[in-house]
Amino acid sequence: MKDTRRTRMVLGVLLIAALALITIDYRGGDDSPLRGLRGVGSAVFGPVERASASVVRPIGNTFDSITGAPGERRRADRLERENQQLRDQLRAAHLDQDHSAQLQRLLGSAGLGGYKIAAAKVISAGQGFEDTVTIDVGSSSGVRPDMTVMSAEGLVGRVTRVGPTTATVLLATDVTSSVGSRLEDSKEIGIVEGRGRRGLGDGGKTPMRFQLLNANAAMRIGQRLVTLGSQGERPYVPGVPIGTIERIDAPAGGLTRTAYVRPFVKFTSLDVVAVVVAPPKTDPRDSVLPPKPSPSPAPSTSPSTSPSDKPKDKPSGKPSTGG
Amino acid sequence: MLNAPEGSQTGRTIMAAVVIVAALILQVSVANRLPLPGGVTPDLVLLTVVALALVNGSLTGLVAGFAAGLAADIIPPADHTIGRYALVYCLIGYICGMASDDMDRQSLVPFFAVAAGALVGTVLYAVTGMMLGDPRASWTIVARMVPLQVLYDVIASPFVVWAILRVTRRFERGERPSRDRFSVPAARYRSGSGSRPGVHL
Repeated sequence: MKDTRRTRMVLGVLLIAALALITIDYRGGDDSPLRGLRGVGSAVFGPVERASASVVRPIGNTFDSITGAPGERRRADRLERENQQLRDQLRAAHLDQDHSAQLQRLLGSAGLGGYKIAAAKVISAGQGFEDTVTIDVGSSSGVRPDMTVMSAEGLVGRVTRVGPTTATVLLATDVTSSVGSRLEDSKEIGIVEGRGRRGLGDGGKTPMRFQLLNANAAMRIGQRLVTLGSQGERPYVPGVPIGTIERIDAPAGGLTRTAYVRPFVKFTSLDVVAVVVAPPKTDPRDSVLPPKPSPSPAPSTSPSTSPSDKPKDKPSGKPSTGG
Repeated sequence: MLNAPEGSQTGRTIMAAVVIVAALILQVSVANRLPLPGGVTPDLVLLTVVALALVNGSLTGLVAGFAAGLAADIIPPADHTIGRYALVYCLIGYICGMASDDMDRQSLVPFFAVAAGALVGTVLYAVTGMMLGDPRASWTIVARMVPLQVLYDVIASPFVVWAILRVTRRFERGERPSRDRFSVPAARYRSGSGSRPGVHL
């Protein structure tokens, strides 16, 4: 009944297959021959994920209803079911309201920066060590790899892979992500790198690290960061808010200075996001940042001393705010 | 193709495939989005593979592990080298399947097997990442995540194992009530787990 030899043979074959897959995919890097396999994966599982996401939308509430439902149903079957239906409707309505509010704010920030966006919902998240999510728009909505993904609050990440109806987003907190960024109200630039959203350092409050390229430039706690914008606006468009500097490492005589950033976006509960399908016509500079919190850095907005003030005439010629 | 010598391949294959796909979908669209403390989530697919291997033996375990791993490698948000989960789950399926043969009616063995499977699987996955030089699997991150992940896996394991036992049982009852289905390790395992105090079957 046990047939060990056969089992071992199958084991050997499958292990070799797995090792071969790893080797091929690793060697191939970005254009590995196994990309097609991933394409199959997103074509097959994408629709299933979409469907399941629409079923389990309010995750916490779903758990409640799963745990609470079975016992009662026997007694007052019809009543219970009706009640459940009504409650679901109410919940859905509430959720839709919530979504529409989020969408509204998203449109607000996109309009501020002049980004043309495709709105999307997060339907699944990555496993293991990777900070990736799937969103429910794909190539059929005009999404291409290396597009910026933002939410109403700020930068979320960039699109890495696109399926027909889904796309994979590499979050800005992922360890392999690095974003060119600029300090608010100045021209000082640096790189924001992810540290993993999984609660590394400071209980996950600062899942990003900012390296200021000019070691002598001024940088202070509470200063905010926006994206610098990549060559050809890909993968990152300029002007998307990233986060606030929370902690600065003591200068250690290195070539760069390091600070830890608290992102504007709550990466643990992403829901409505937007893919920037067309970059703004002009760099929005700091205009997408939310209004300054009044207490500490209040005076720095008004005076026109900083040399970077010139481009701050923000939406003056506000470019087409496509939807 | 699965478990050919036992004669009920197609049904079992379909059942295993359905269970694996369900676990995968649950994993990516529910479990990974739960805001659990520490940001780590239980690996339901690993637990499913372990449970399938414990019920059906090592051949099913390793084939199911490979298939589940390959699917986990290509399901949309995945962004690691293809084949890593396939390798790890395949090994885990084989090892846990071997354990299922030694498992008699001792009611605690399944728990230890699942915990050990979760530990070995998580560590192996991290090790493959380190060997490939994946920056996400750097030592600081691994050292922090692996213990927590194993803890979550162990906490989630009774539920997953219970669900899979239940599905298997219902399937076998419904499909072929007359045939003698109780000569396989699954039967021993089931009889052992039926008397387990914490789990109500």
